[in-house]
Amino acid sequence: MALLFAAGGCATDNPKAAAQRTERDKLMWDYRKAATAMRQGNFDEARALLDDAVTTLNAVRTADSGTRKARSLFGREEQKTFLGEPYERVMAFYYRGILYWMQGEPDNARACYRSAAVIDGDPEKKYGSDYVLLDYLDGYVTAKLGGDGSEAHARAEKNSAQKPLPPYDKSANVVVFGEFGRGPTKFAAGRYGEQLKFLPGNSIIHSVRVTVEGQQLALKPLDDLYFQATTRGGRVMDHILGNKAVFKSTTDAAGNAAIIAGSALIAGGSGSRGAADEVGLGLLLAGLVSKVASSAATPEADTRQWYNLPQYLTFTALRMPPGPHTGTVEFLNATGQVVPNLNKQLNFTVYPDRDTVIFFSDQNQ
Amino acid sequence: MIMKLPSLSNLTLCSALALTGFGCATSGVKNPSGTPVTEMKADERGFVAGTGIESQDMLAVTEKMARGILSIPQIAHAATPPRIALEPVKNETRFPINKDIFLTRIRVQLYSKAAGRVVFLDREQMQALERERELKRTGQVTASSDPSVQEFKGADFLLTGKLQGMTTKAAAGTSDYVLYTFRLTDNRTSEIVWEDQAEIKKQGLEDAVYR
Repeated sequence: MALLFAAGGCATDNPKAAAQRTERDKLMWDYRKAATAMRQGNFDEARALLDDAVTTLNAVRTADSGTRKARSLFGREEQKTFLGEPYERVMAFYYRGILYWMQGEPDNARACYRSAAVIDGDPEKKYGSDYVLLDYLDGYVTAKLGGDGSEAHARAEKNSAQKPLPPYDKSANVVVFGEFGRGPTKFAAGRYGEQLKFLPGNSIIHSVRVTVEGQQLALKPLDDLYFQATTRGGRVMDHILGNKAVFKSTTDAAGNAAIIAGSALIAGGSGSRGAADEVGLGLLLAGLVSKVASSAATPEADTRQWYNLPQYLTFTALRMPPGPHTGTVEFLNATGQVVPNLNKQLNFTVYPDRDTVIFFSDQNQ
Repeated sequence: MIMKLPSLSNLTLCSALALTGFGCATSGVKNPSGTPVTEMKADERGFVAGTGIESQDMLAVTEKMARGILSIPQIAHAATPPRIALEPVKNETRFPINKDIFLTRIRVQLYSKAAGRVVFLDREQMQALERERELKRTGQVTASSDPSVQEFKGADFLLTGKLQGMTTKAAAGTSDYVLYTFRLTDNRTSEIVWEDQAEIKKQGLEDAVYR
């Protein structure tokens, strides 16, 4: 037990290990803080955090000590620097895109949606990006900037459960991004926790009603992050973890067999120090070594996560005259009833020369 | 004897835990002191790299564009230095960028190399300039010339740029091609008097743990 305490204490008591953990988890904390900042309207803070994240994600991360440990039989996947699974990386770009649009840089917003779409696609499994909003917004910005967004609109509509998607209103000057529910939760499944799985998100909210000075808009979910987390196919890392699990299982079984055989031989030798005893001892030692190797193998999947993501994303655009405006956001349950205590008041100013961006969430953190 | 095996197995497990536990506390941390700040030239590829738009690309592109602009007859042989206004670069790639940085660098390059052969108009500061002029007109601050005379200059040329990209993602990695085009338009005639391009392609493959 003393040994176990010693082992358990090392992560926190060893300042070097703690510093390493802080560094490799940095992006996870940035993500979480950025989502909270977005919901609290602290857009400058969110911008700084997401700039950091987007810069990190745009680098091509090759082997380092963390990735080598994550790949090795005796290292844990969580020893790699956290970047998140594709659905998490996509959301970093998605939020940053909203902020670029807010700053009056829709082309940089589109760049974020395009990068996110590249992250979501996986050519190894022949999956293309299937986020509705990434394509829809790519096309919308393109149309607003005088280009042809029809191809992106068609891609979005193909993947959308809501058909038809609204045509692009190039004269709309207020764009509204909404989100609701709590996103998927990672957990480790399998005999050794080597399989990364997701619990569905949950949301009592099924749609949203936005009312702005007489205009009433019904917004339904356009993207579901649980669907996105679970439909991209397996990871290369899953194969690595699977191999680690096979190693762990095989060495454990081999260790058991060697210990049983060795013990039986020693017992049969009656302590006469004959050949049977020596072979038995050898098998016993080999079995112990095999068991130690098995115990040291760490196939557990990395379940660090951006835990405060929403389940659903939605979007709309409307035309408003320049100047200050007010409105309300109501969150509706499955039967279309307003869920009390979640209503949001909107106070915003429409700019004369660029789009005004509104962001709302049913979450506060 | 067989009945004793579970205790042997537990012992082994405890040994393994002890080994892994002590290993964690005593194993050497790779690069524990971090990497000291390394000063690099802006046109060098750093040890942190992506397939997107980076400083070395911007330097290569802006230097090429500045050289091109200086070589055209409308600039090289102009009787009076032509006035150029800058328009923000249009970004059609998948990489969010600081759009002003390209034109800022081209402007600085031209000023440093053109020796007064071109003049740029500071349209970014128009609001502040108008405010200052208004203060002069209302007598709230002194003026060295008659503030009621319109002295803000019009541009002879407009410099614009566009970044376009193409991405390929395959099992072998991600490849990004970026085309940079810049052009100079005569404001009076709408003729494009100069246009040039630069293209950069990069590819890379992430470590398997991120795929």
